[in-house]
Amino acid sequence: MRVLKQKKKRLFEFLGKLKQSYELIAPVSKDVVRFEKIDDTGDIYLEKNSYFPLKEYFFRKEEVLFKFNGNKIIVPAPEAPARVFFGIRKCDLNAISHQDMVFMNQVNDPYYSSMRKNSFLLGYHCNTAPSPFCFCGSLELVDYSDLMFYDRGDYLLVEIGSEKGKFLAGKFREFFVETNAAITQKEKIIPRADRLDKKDISHLYDHPDWKKGVDICLSCSACTALCPTCYCFEIHDNVGTKNPKEGERKRSWSSCQVQEFTKVAGEHVFRKEREERFKHRIYHQLDYFKQKNGINLCVGCGRCIEACPTRIDFVEIINEMK
Amino acid sequence: MLTEKYSLPLENKKMPKPKLKLGFYGITGCAGCLLSVIFNEDEILDLIQLVDLKAFPFIKEVNPDEQFDYVFMEGLVADKGDLEELEKLRQNTRYIVSLGACACTGCVPAYRQFTLKENYEHLLYRKQKEVEDIQPTPIDAHVKVDYYIPGCPPDKREIVTFIKNIAIGKEPKPYENPVCVECRKNGNQCLLDLGKPCLGPITAGGCNSVCINGNFECWGCRGPTKDMNLPLMIKILKEKGFDDKFIQDRMRTFAGLKLPMLEQFFNVKVNVKC
Ligand code: SF4
Ligand code: SF4
Ligand code: SF4
Ligand code: SF4
Repeated sequence: MRVLKQKKKRLFEFLGKLKQSYELIAPVSKDVVRFEKIDDTGDIYLEKNSYFPLKEYFFRKEEVLFKFNGNKIIVPAPEAPARVFFGIRKCDLNAISHQDMVFMNQVNDPYYSSMRKNSFLLGYHCNTAPSPFCFCGSLELVDYSDLMFYDRGDYLLVEIGSEKGKFLAGKFREFFVETNAAITQKEKIIPRADRLDKKDISHLYDHPDWKKGVDICLSCSACTALCPTCYCFEIHDNVGTKNPKEGERKRSWSSCQVQEFTKVAGEHVFRKEREERFKHRIYHQLDYFKQKNGINLCVGCGRCIEACPTRIDFVEIINEMK
Repeated sequence: MLTEKYSLPLENKKMPKPKLKLGFYGITGCAGCLLSVIFNEDEILDLIQLVDLKAFPFIKEVNPDEQFDYVFMEGLVADKGDLEELEKLRQNTRYIVSLGACACTGCVPAYRQFTLKENYEHLLYRKQKEVEDIQPTPIDAHVKVDYYIPGCPPDKREIVTFIKNIAIGKEPKPYENPVCVECRKNGNQCLLDLGKPCLGPITAGGCNSVCINGNFECWGCRGPTKDMNLPLMIKILKEKGFDDKFIQDRMRTFAGLKLPMLEQFFNVKVNVKC
């Protein structure tokens, strides 16, 4: 892949310039680190990964699927402005690739696609794992950015990953210089990020050690809400007050950690026990999705561990399983 | 893709059904829950067109002898008069909807049951003979309750949705997820991580995590979830440095009577570090 070079101080000039043509979204450090629309590029924070994932920009928390009026159905056509996302770590780029797989390849979800369509993904490669919970190195992650920035101290190497990336690098060519440098596969490995020591957990479903996590789980759903790959939702209708024949159908984020998730007509709950729900998340992330799609859903960002009120580290639990 | 042929069940051409007869009543309480209904200023006039509103304190007659489809009951049973009114309304209606925390859990007034008599005795209405004190209790301690709209005060949007649903013949569904589900979706930083004694993980949501959005921890006003991990919640609060008395008091403030098993969990061993 073609590589360009950029002086460190040119990076923020480049982002400032980008901002004139696009909406720029990048991590900022507030109460916690969050991806937000940038007004001042000086606010961009790259020391740690964001606490909240980027997914709400594409797979929105709430989405009106259609409005109805009597027999008439109106499907909205949401449009996102052209947006540049900067500072996305490798785990989160892969999480976007997994959500693209779910919402754009397996089905064509018009809402997700329209949010995703006009976006540029600018990655920022971790020189070392930014959090003690990271384990992306234990999973098979791929390159999935339009431009990927590798921090080399006082300069950056910028790998062009797609046609869109090539377009941006061309449009703003004054901020980059040509180089012969290349990024080796070895340089793409992130140190201190290979915590998970098992490749396959399919035979461990009945292992007694899961109890270590289940006992200290509140079924609060923090893990799935903050997971960049979780894509589950529920659907509700709401009718108008003036005219109840009018109304809308909405989808909103949901979580396999709560009983409601598997409640069906007649009030039957398929995964009533906390243990089944707890394991379902981990098995969907590290087993079921892979069986179906050939790749783990989990990207090893560690957010579900950091956000968990009792810091349940399922990686540790799995590692300790004999 | 959806087409215009898709037909909604609403569109059946049968004779319109008669409107549902609704009554709102309050027994011992602060009237805040009834106000929550009225606070839907923009919609209240349209909302009452969908139903046949027969009784509402402050805005309509009382009509206690009417036959209702739904009676919305605010307040808790705290004296003999409350109980008589509640029992009579139960006989005169198909469904009772428990409106607000007092009716659903007993709320703050029921906290009396967890204190010594000497702490409140001097506050009882001794002078008025017709006020005959009973232990404060939620309405489901006395009569069958069909639906619950919890909260202190209840969420005004939830009331609108409830009424619209019954008006169009759709079964109202309670919100059963813990407060954390909406809280995390709202992008809040978890208050437990900041050392605050948030009861969100064991409390039924549906409030859109309004307290936490305002940086105030959840006190459990909507009552416990069916699926709560109570021993773990207690352990977490202990780990954060709160003592047994504080934890018990906090959990009992809004829903003590719905946590009869509370004490037995104070010595349960759970291995948690947070
Ligand atoms: S965040 Fe932790 S406590 Fe909450 S549901 Fe997930 S694993 Fe359980
Ligand atoms: S399961 Fe946890 S570690 Fe894996 S992608 Fe989701 S939040 Fe990250
Ligand atoms: S089933 Fe659970 S773990 Fe899997 S995507 Fe849905 S919420 Fe996430
Ligand atoms: S602040 Fe409270 S309600 Fe919100 S996630 Fe934390 S424990 Fe749950």
